[in-house]
Amino acid sequence: MIRLQRVTKRFAGGTEALHNVSLRVDAGALAFVTGPSGAGKSTLLRLIARLERPTRGRILVNGQDLETLPRRDVPGFRRGIGLVFQDHRLLLDRPVHANVALPLEILGFRRTEARKRVRASLDKVGLLQKENASPQTLSAGEQQRVGIARAIVHRPALLLADEPTGNLDPALSREIMELFLDFNRVGMTALIASHDLELIAALGRPMLHLENGRLEARQQPPAGKPA
Amino acid sequence: MKEPAERAGCLEAWLHNHADAARRSLGRRLHAPGQTLILIAVLGFILALPAYLWLLLENARELSAAVDHEPRIALYLDNTPETELQAAVERVDELQGVAGTTAQSADQALARYRAGLPDTALLDWLDDNPLPAVIEVLPLERTPEALRNLESRLRQALPEATVVSDHEWVRRLQALHRAGTRVLLVVGGLLALGVMLILAVAAASELRERNEEIAISRITGATDRFLRRPSLYTGLWIGLGGGLFSFGLLWAGVHFTRAPVESAAAAFDLPLRFATPETQLGLILIAAGLVLGWVGARIGAAVALHADSHP
Repeated sequence: MIRLQRVTKRFAGGTEALHNVSLRVDAGALAFVTGPSGAGKSTLLRLIARLERPTRGRILVNGQDLETLPRRDVPGFRRGIGLVFQDHRLLLDRPVHANVALPLEILGFRRTEARKRVRASLDKVGLLQKENASPQTLSAGEQQRVGIARAIVHRPALLLADEPTGNLDPALSREIMELFLDFNRVGMTALIASHDLELIAALGRPMLHLENGRLEARQQPPAGKPA
Repeated sequence: MKEPAERAGCLEAWLHNHADAARRSLGRRLHAPGQTLILIAVLGFILALPAYLWLLLENARELSAAVDHEPRIALYLDNTPETELQAAVERVDELQGVAGTTAQSADQALARYRAGLPDTALLDWLDDNPLPAVIEVLPLERTPEALRNLESRLRQALPEATVVSDHEWVRRLQALHRAGTRVLLVVGGLLALGVMLILAVAAASELRERNEEIAISRITGATDRFLRRPSLYTGLWIGLGGGLFSFGLLWAGVHFTRAPVESAAAAFDLPLRFATPETQLGLILIAAGLVLGWVGARIGAAVALHADSHP
């Protein structure tokens, strides 16, 4: 599903966020990317979603080489990915249901079908009763769950989550991780960046550890591994 | 990721997206009424000005057409007795391009002049008749060129005559009209370009206000076409408002200036009627507003979205 071959990312100021990273995540797998702040976790996810381009190396997602992906095909490629951010990135001028419906709107779903999907997604994250609320009235955990509902509403093949439990208490974090495991059980490939080692170690899924932009193997199960 | 049956058909999705973009952009405009009204007013003023000038020119053109229906050329002949006048009339009648002539001798002219005066005592003081004989020529063709050719043939046939064409001022008016139309095109074009750029800047700044929404939509797979659609509708809403406002302004302007313009024309014996703008002109103004609004928004969107493009 995801393959990185000797990927290096250097930003304009000269900072090297990733150095010679190679990894593989198979279709249907759920893997975690761990590491301290500034280790390059976010950059890795942004490269996979084609929000950044590598300075060197090759990235393949679902067999598609991102380097040769034409610019006009980038939106289509991104529609196959669900993205969850640490800071939720919700539109505060729209109610919860409109935030969740955004990917469906872009995909051109029928209104009735979109409403059904939005309600199903909100139900999945336990926020159906808040569908008409403004995001500003929600707690941090609820906002994060709205962000997750938005990421999965169009049933993407790949879910990328960047520190999805960053601001949450342990109980809520565990709950959110359980959600990802549920999505994975129905076939969604997921790559989740987190520095909460204690929590993810308990989940028994493959981990890829980044340190100063370099990949170090912590666990090497077959589904997600340094390649 | 998606099941085709659950997604709308191409046309339905397209219509739904458009309706949504139109509704959302209208909502956003109504939410910022001050800014919206300023943009509508700017567009309205800029459309109304050339339209008003055009209306003036059109009325002037119709005026020339109204006076133009029977152009005549007068030949004034000094010291020409009755017999010579008859010979001159025959020569003129034979010329190419002459539909008819009427002649009036110097004596007939004086008699007619005398009949029009309340007191003829002054005329009795004159030793000679100071009035010339006159041949009025009705041309066969009315085009400016045919008239010019006929005038030169008349000058050749009767070199001693003074040729005066009452069509001359119509010709000048037509030339002025042509020049005015050209100036109007340049001024109108420059104003249109100016207002289009104002609308482009407005569209770009509106897109910057939607910065967060655009960033999230891009991440979710929105195309530039999808992102700029609401801005294009904003351009159309402003264009529609501007077109309607300019028509209102034009209507008010014509009513406000009609009386002085018509009385000024009457002072020159010109039968000018400053016509109220017709619905057709209103439709043209609305169409012009829509085009300027759309193109302006398209330029603004291209600039804003390019600046904030994905890698």
